Amino acid sequence: MSAIATARRVSIGERVRAGLAHFAMATLAGLILAGIVHIVAVLAVPHLARGDALNRFQSLGGSGRAEPIPDGALLQDDDPAAVTAVCSYDLGSGPVRVSARIGTLPLGLTLHRKGGGVIYAITDRAAIRGVVEFVVMTEEQRDERAATDQDGDRSVRELRVVSDAEQGLLVVRALAKTPSERTDAEALARAVTCGAAD
Amino acid sequence: MRVLTLAYILALGGGLGLASAHYAVAGRPLIGKVALGAWDVWPGSGSRDIDPYMRAHLARGVFLPLGTGEGLELVATRDSTGVALTGRCSYRVTGQTPPARGWTLEVTDAAGAGFAGQRAGFSDAEILRREDGGFDLAAAPSVQAGNWLPLPRDRSFQLRMRLYDTPLSSQVGETLAETLPRIERASCP
Repeated sequence: MSAIATARRVSIGERVRAGLAHFAMATLAGLILAGIVHIVAVLAVPHLARGDALNRFQSLGGSGRAEPIPDGALLQDDDPAAVTAVCSYDLGSGPVRVSARIGTLPLGLTLHRKGGGVIYAITDRAAIRGVVEFVVMTEEQRDERAATDQDGDRSVRELRVVSDAEQGLLVVRALAKTPSERTDAEALARAVTCGAAD
Repeated sequence: MRVLTLAYILALGGGLGLASAHYAVAGRPLIGKVALGAWDVWPGSGSRDIDPYMRAHLARGVFLPLGTGEGLELVATRDSTGVALTGRCSYRVTGQTPPARGWTLEVTDAAGAGFAGQRAGFSDAEILRREDGGFDLAAAPSVQAGNWLPLPRDRSFQLRMRLYDTPLSSQVGETLAETLPRIERASCP
């Protein structure tokens, strides 16, 4: 009688132990899956985002000039003292030439690539004879241009910026340190051109 | 039993994975943050090799961060002793600013938006300076003499300093906190 009771107790103890081990294994598997889901979710967000700055401002700058972002656009973390203008570009139809005539106010030009990351930044301090100018292109377009450079004897003087993404935004920021400089800052930002390079 | 186990694994993995991902990128990510005194800086946010967390955070809203080389944004959510900034108290922001073409100091809410109907901030051209080139700024909900930055009464706030065209953006790691303005709590009724 007592031998049977002992055997039953052992089997219950074993089953509880086996259940706990099963639960622990399942939890461990769940945590590993959670880690994978976490990494995939963080990496996928930039590709799934539809309301980010790149998508929202895609229509601006089609005329070949940078356009100030509309008032209702609710750009986050934006400096209220700076005037921000953008020009969306697509290198699929050829390289893009960016040209800015500088003034007295601080001016910054940045290239924000699709998918995140600022691939190039330059300020008006780098201006040559009052103009900041560079050409944005893909790696293939750069190779093509380099090949034609060697053919002819024309001396090529252009600053070439290679972009690994075809689409992106040129962002122009002009800083108005006092409210009275705002009109000047707007004019400075609007005067930046971003047309197709020849 | 097997189905139950599978459901448990999927629920735990999916729930915990998505929740932790959301938590990690809902605000500015902790990864990539550099603390300089009371100020926090994310030097990688405006670079070519931006980290995936910052990238995800920026993609979830409408952001156009300052590029490295264009400028640097510093955010203060706490005073120099580590206590959260609130409009119930008044503060003194004092000291020097790092070399830059220009800077602005702005008071915002936690999401980075300004408070309506108040002076938003100061620029380096607007602020009154001491003889040594530094400045004293009084941030308080009630009127103060000198450089007065109005605070939202009884609400928490952040200070954002943007340095334009500064050599600091490429050397955040080597920057000493003493070169940035201090934020001291002056009075707290």
